[in-house]
Amino acid sequence: MPETLVKPYALTATFSELKPLFAAVKKLRSQGFKHWEVYTPFPVHGLDKAMGMPRSVVPRFTLLGGVTGFFSGLIMVWYMNAYDYPLTVGGKPLASVVYPFPIAYELTILLAAFGTLFGMFWTNRLPMHHHPIFNHPTFSRASDDRFLIAIEAQDPLCDPETTPKLLEQLGAEGILWVHDS
Amino acid sequence: MQKSIHQIGLKRLSTWVLGIAVLFLLVGLWGFWRGVQLGDARPLISWLLGLAFWLAVGIGMLLLIMLWYVFGSGWSVILRRQLEHAMTAFPLLALTFIPFLLLLWWHDSPGLLWKWADPQALLPGGEHVAQDALYQGKAVYLNPLFFTVRAVLFFGLWSFLGLAFRYCSYRMDSDPRRQWADWPTYLSAAGIPLTALTLTFAAIDWFKSLEFHWFSTMYGVWFFSSGIRIALAAIIVLCAFLHKQGYLKGYYNQAHRYNLACLALAFTVFWGYISFSQFFLIYHANIPEETFWYHMRIFNPIDYTHNSWYYVGVFGLIAGHFFVPFLYLLSYKNKVVEKRLLFISVWILIFQMIDFHYNIVPGRLPSDNAVGYDVREFSITVFDFASWIGMGALCLWAYLRSAAKHGPIPVSDPQIQKALHYYE
Repeated sequence: MPETLVKPYALTATFSELKPLFAAVKKLRSQGFKHWEVYTPFPVHGLDKAMGMPRSVVPRFTLLGGVTGFFSGLIMVWYMNAYDYPLTVGGKPLASVVYPFPIAYELTILLAAFGTLFGMFWTNRLPMHHHPIFNHPTFSRASDDRFLIAIEAQDPLCDPETTPKLLEQLGAEGILWVHDS
Repeated sequence: MQKSIHQIGLKRLSTWVLGIAVLFLLVGLWGFWRGVQLGDARPLISWLLGLAFWLAVGIGMLLLIMLWYVFGSGWSVILRRQLEHAMTAFPLLALTFIPFLLLLWWHDSPGLLWKWADPQALLPGGEHVAQDALYQGKAVYLNPLFFTVRAVLFFGLWSFLGLAFRYCSYRMDSDPRRQWADWPTYLSAAGIPLTALTLTFAAIDWFKSLEFHWFSTMYGVWFFSSGIRIALAAIIVLCAFLHKQGYLKGYYNQAHRYNLACLALAFTVFWGYISFSQFFLIYHANIPEETFWYHMRIFNPIDYTHNSWYYVGVFGLIAGHFFVPFLYLLSYKNKVVEKRLLFISVWILIFQMIDFHYNIVPGRLPSDNAVGYDVREFSITVFDFASWIGMGALCLWAYLRSAAKHGPIPVSDPQIQKALHYYE
């Protein structure tokens, strides 16, 4: 493939120790980088905070699903039992919040679970069959013994001249461009 | 061990707390005595309310200790010592139960509080208790002798479990052998079902049998969930106080608070679930032997207008004790910011007291109307406060005496490092 057609995806750099990684993460954050990611072989406590990552927005989808489920349960029972085909059962009132409560409650849980699941898929942009970071020649080491920082080329601060130098100053080891093929 | 400045402070505080406990308990006991003299059950109910509340806190804490042991939970180890301190309250609460036994055995009309205790007493409708079909069926279980034996057994078991967990934990401080962590784990595995059974029967004996005609399979679970809820709230309040005083500084962090709050949310949902289930099943089945209990808590007997309990149920329990804490605790921020979590914990403690009112206070008072009774309305009396504060101060005194003697965390616990470095 001609070189000019291959877009650069990200500038990557590896670290073998946590301490310089955290120093680099803090530096990159203070520089104002927005589109970047750190890949680690194990969960690193406090890394998300050091990167300045906000909390997940998935709970909002859960809440939205739950509220929708609760009211659709109540409305459904009201529509069927009190509006469309009024039917007295066991002397209970036609419209009430007491006897349809199990329906509303079950639908709350169901739609809250759907909200969580599909909200998670949507925010993670799943399903995703391929990710350009896999083009990194030794990406598998990020599951083994290296920490990998990837600064995406779309970040306005990602400069072909200065950013590799900045990473070098921070003690990064293998600095290379990963391409989106 | 060198006593720290905090421990000396706690010792001094405990003397004050004991003074408060004695003062308020005397007021509560005076009410009890006056109630017995005048044949008025309300001050006795106040005493029962105080006991119900603090016993529920104690049993909730006991269950949490055991749950944490059997699941080998690491994060909770720094909190466990606070619960162990509180375990000394069980023998003291057993003492506060004695007035009830005196009433059952040595008073002329022992049925003043629990009607089944006096077969000669009159029921609304002019029948004697002894002629009542349900009494005749339940008398094998509900009689003063078996009742007393059970009460001794319940308090004995809870006190034994609490003291055994304390012993193992404090021995481990100076003797860091693995057995002091293993033995309480085995004991917990046996203690959980035993405590579950005893708390169920205790709730049936002391609270549910106030209306001995009633049937409900949810009652024990209601008492259990209430107990865990206020135990968690009490732990959060206690830790917030200790944290502020610098007692748990550096140990008790946001992640521990988050877990406690998640448990508080889970048990809020659980409480709502079982309380509603109890109501819903009875409402749906519509059998008079069961519905009368809720009927008393919704309607005046003659004109079917709403009585005070209806508003307590709707605003106090459905809104105040379920929806407010549930919606509040959904938010992450409300779970981790100490002041916000403290607010809802105090809220839960207050509304659980209203829940105990709802379950214990309503009763049938003799009246000249067509059905022969009136429902005892919602009220908060001086004696409610006196026994609640008195018994609470008694429990706090037990806690403080223990806290002044022993370290704030189990330093030799195998999981203490895990607890100290716990992250969300």
